[in-house]
Amino acid sequence: MRPNFFHHLHPPTIPAQQSRWRYTLGAGGTAVFLLLVLVVTGALEMFYYTPTPDQAALSVQVISYHVPLGGLVRNLHFWAAQLLMVVTMVHLARVVLTGAYGPPRRFNYLLGLGLFVLAILLNFTGYILRWDQGIHWALVVGTNLLKTIPLIGDTLYEILIGGSQPGPATLIRFYAWHIFGLSLGAVILTGWHVFRVRRDGGIAVPPPLLRRDEARITRYELVRREVLAMILTSAALITLAGFAPAPIDAPIREIAATTSDASAPWFVLWVQQMLKWGDPFLWGVLVPLLVLLVLALIPYILPQPHEGELGRWFPRSNRLARWVLTGIGALVLALTVLALLSGD
Amino acid sequence: MSEFERRDFLKFTTRALLAASGLFGLGALGRFLNFQTQSPPQTVFDLGLASEYAVGTRRVLPEIPALLIHNEDGFSALSLVCTHLGCTVEENTSGFVCPCHGSLYDDAGNSLRGPAGKPLRALTVETTADGQLRLLLN
Repeated sequence: MRPNFFHHLHPPTIPAQQSRWRYTLGAGGTAVFLLLVLVVTGALEMFYYTPTPDQAALSVQVISYHVPLGGLVRNLHFWAAQLLMVVTMVHLARVVLTGAYGPPRRFNYLLGLGLFVLAILLNFTGYILRWDQGIHWALVVGTNLLKTIPLIGDTLYEILIGGSQPGPATLIRFYAWHIFGLSLGAVILTGWHVFRVRRDGGIAVPPPLLRRDEARITRYELVRREVLAMILTSAALITLAGFAPAPIDAPIREIAATTSDASAPWFVLWVQQMLKWGDPFLWGVLVPLLVLLVLALIPYILPQPHEGELGRWFPRSNRLARWVLTGIGALVLALTVLALLSGD
Repeated sequence: MSEFERRDFLKFTTRALLAASGLFGLGALGRFLNFQTQSPPQTVFDLGLASEYAVGTRRVLPEIPALLIHNEDGFSALSLVCTHLGCTVEENTSGFVCPCHGSLYDDAGNSLRGPAGKPLRALTVETTADGQLRLLLN
């Protein structure tokens, strides 16, 4: 068989243990595929979306209800974005719970964390682009949080919002960040992240001297597995898009009608719950940044996973890192559940 | 001076210069993005004839958003912007509640419970010579 372009993106053969589903969960590769889906469906949406306060919500309605297959395109974009959040969380958890972040992969771990932050920012800016009543309070709260940062808060607010309150300049800025600034950053960082996987010697497995495993798979087999993952992901996306349409609401009118739903997007519900406790700078800015800092420091300050234990889940040597991640995950989950319960 | 020290010095200098130009570029980007194209938000609202608001009434003015109160002492107004993170509070049976993080205020705007802590802002209401009512945000 003559290798085609996609085969050539892979090494001729790789150790079989680097590509077992039960080890990698296929999460990183699925995230790359979802990014591709987001770029394509996002590009299609750009043909109809109008980034002005008067037209934005109406143009979203036009895409959703009038353009042939427009609803499908928008729902696919929405669900690919939500799945990307889930898949990147799974990917991060896999890397920590298998201890795969140790040297020489510490830098790539940081690149991955940067991509996770970009995914959150892209999801939030995309949500705001709806510019309908459903996003109104998330926009007000999210941007007012910036103002609570000492010294630089006001300047940061003006730079991101383009005025002293959300308006036309804000929408065009969020649009520019969403479709260009953040997206370009995500594509470049993804390329770098994937390149570093190969540069660092592939997916983390033990050195051959410590635990020998001769089995290798060819790139044909690897591409076959990747295509299988893409087909399964596509099936999930199409099912979700068909049965659960992306949220939409009435346009924001001049007169601020009382909005029925004041809950934040699902991935920041835990922050919304903490904000009910008081000081917005502490709970809304410092604590989330602290969580990010702890995640970033895992490969640098916690005990290193032992080389001989790589390639398996839950190595004994990185027990502390696993507990830290589990603790953070449990807290975020508990706060999210609390927010969901109090919302009803 | 040995060869390695000179190399270290050059390496350090290169990195310092790169960092400095990076910071310089970031500052320039901040200046570029900081320009304000939006007109500043409205701060004076004309509410029409004062005689249209009867004594003993409270009226929500959603476009400000504010609550106009007219009692025996005259006109007064409360901002309906939550002092926590800026959502618009909603009236309930005993006062006001914020839909975002649950801050509670009594009907005079004093903070009762929740993260807000500060009372709703009192706004200035003035009556012009020809009987027109005007509300000032500052």
